[in-house]
Amino acid sequence: MTLLAAASIATGVMMLVAAVAALVVKKLISAIIIVGFVSLSASILFLLMDAPDVAITEASIGAAISTVIFLWGKGKIGGEE
Amino acid sequence: MIRTIVGLIIVLALSVVVISSVPDYSLPSGLQGVGQDYTERGVNDTGSVNLVTAVVVAYRGLDTLGEVVVLFSASTAVVLVLTLVPMGANPTPSSSIVAFTSGVLPGSIVLFGIYIITHGHLSPGGGFPGGAVVASAFLLVMLGSNKIPGKSKLLASIESLAGVTFGLLGFWGMMMFGQFLNNMVLPAGSPGKLFSAGIIPLISLVIGAKVASELSGVFSSYRKAGGDE
Amino acid sequence: MNAQSLFYWSLAVTALGLVLIGLWGVLTRKNILRIALAFTLADTGVNLILVWSGFLPGRSAPIVDSSVSSMVDPLPQALVLTSIVIGVAVAALFVVVGVLAARKSGSADVRRMKELKW
Repeated sequence: MTLLAAASIATGVMMLVAAVAALVVKKLISAIIIVGFVSLSASILFLLMDAPDVAITEASIGAAISTVIFLWGKGKIGGEE
Repeated sequence: MIRTIVGLIIVLALSVVVISSVPDYSLPSGLQGVGQDYTERGVNDTGSVNLVTAVVVAYRGLDTLGEVVVLFSASTAVVLVLTLVPMGANPTPSSSIVAFTSGVLPGSIVLFGIYIITHGHLSPGGGFPGGAVVASAFLLVMLGSNKIPGKSKLLASIESLAGVTFGLLGFWGMMMFGQFLNNMVLPAGSPGKLFSAGIIPLISLVIGAKVASELSGVFSSYRKAGGDE
Repeated sequence: MNAQSLFYWSLAVTALGLVLIGLWGVLTRKNILRIALAFTLADTGVNLILVWSGFLPGRSAPIVDSSVSSMVDPLPQALVLTSIVIGVAVAALFVVVGVLAARKSGSADVRRMKELKW
């Protein structure tokens, strides 16, 4: 249980730092990749919460499909802020 | 600057409200109400070993039909907007790494997706995750090819067929037992076997086909509008 | 506070923090795609809170086995399973409408989109 607590706290701190970074980082493409990383960390938390079904879904959708959707949007808008 | 500070104040006020509304920081003792009921009776009621699939498909099957309708309308809106407003396609050629990977991997990804869909009542998985995995294989194929996809009748017909089949399976239960989406129109079998759990595997298959074709339709209309990385 | 309740409450803090960060981003960012990203973050946080509400530390995943005696609540997990798929479809619609608005006003900055104001 101590190991689980350490894992959840480490993942959670990483996620929160990454989420703030995604909103303040200059380049939009970095922000999109960081949000993909937050989704992947969320799937680790789902696994820690004994929800393997949700973890599979979050890993395949949050990290792969939504990243591609946002990359498409960036390619269409182009430019920066 | 003003905007940042005001946003920060709103968020902090909201967090204070949430934190002060927590009664005490103790651990919950056990399940109550409907959750307890599902864990006790789930296997006897539905024959599905994975209780999450049992809830998604059998207990809350009507809700899932509604969710599928929401998914359908969202993807229809995306395709409609991208069809009505032409944006000028300019497909960028894919690099040789992506082109090679997209030739090797999709077969095994589709196989894994079908495994997840068909074993949804035995192990973690089911229609929604499996459909997403199949759609990501479709996405990889599309990223690797330099062609713009034409009008695809196949995707649209799979999509409609899956939706109609979901409704018909529901009405089958209504005709036999007077209950929409009754699970026991097929024998429950022995829990843990592949052919068990009534119509849950059939509905998982339908949901998987529906999710995979909806998401693939969204990607193919993105590709037609061009500009993806 | 022992390790078990530390584990339990750290998950809640992470989920709540993600929702608040996403809300802050939606309120303060200016690029329309950045707002869509913040919306996705808040969506992930809400899903985490929902799954956490049915979670009991020390129990096993809701898959029945002869060796399993007690398990977590399967109902929130089933709801979140559908919610994730709906969330990505809504995000796709968000991005498409945002791209259209950006092309119409000539910039991705929401302050320049006069159609949104009245």
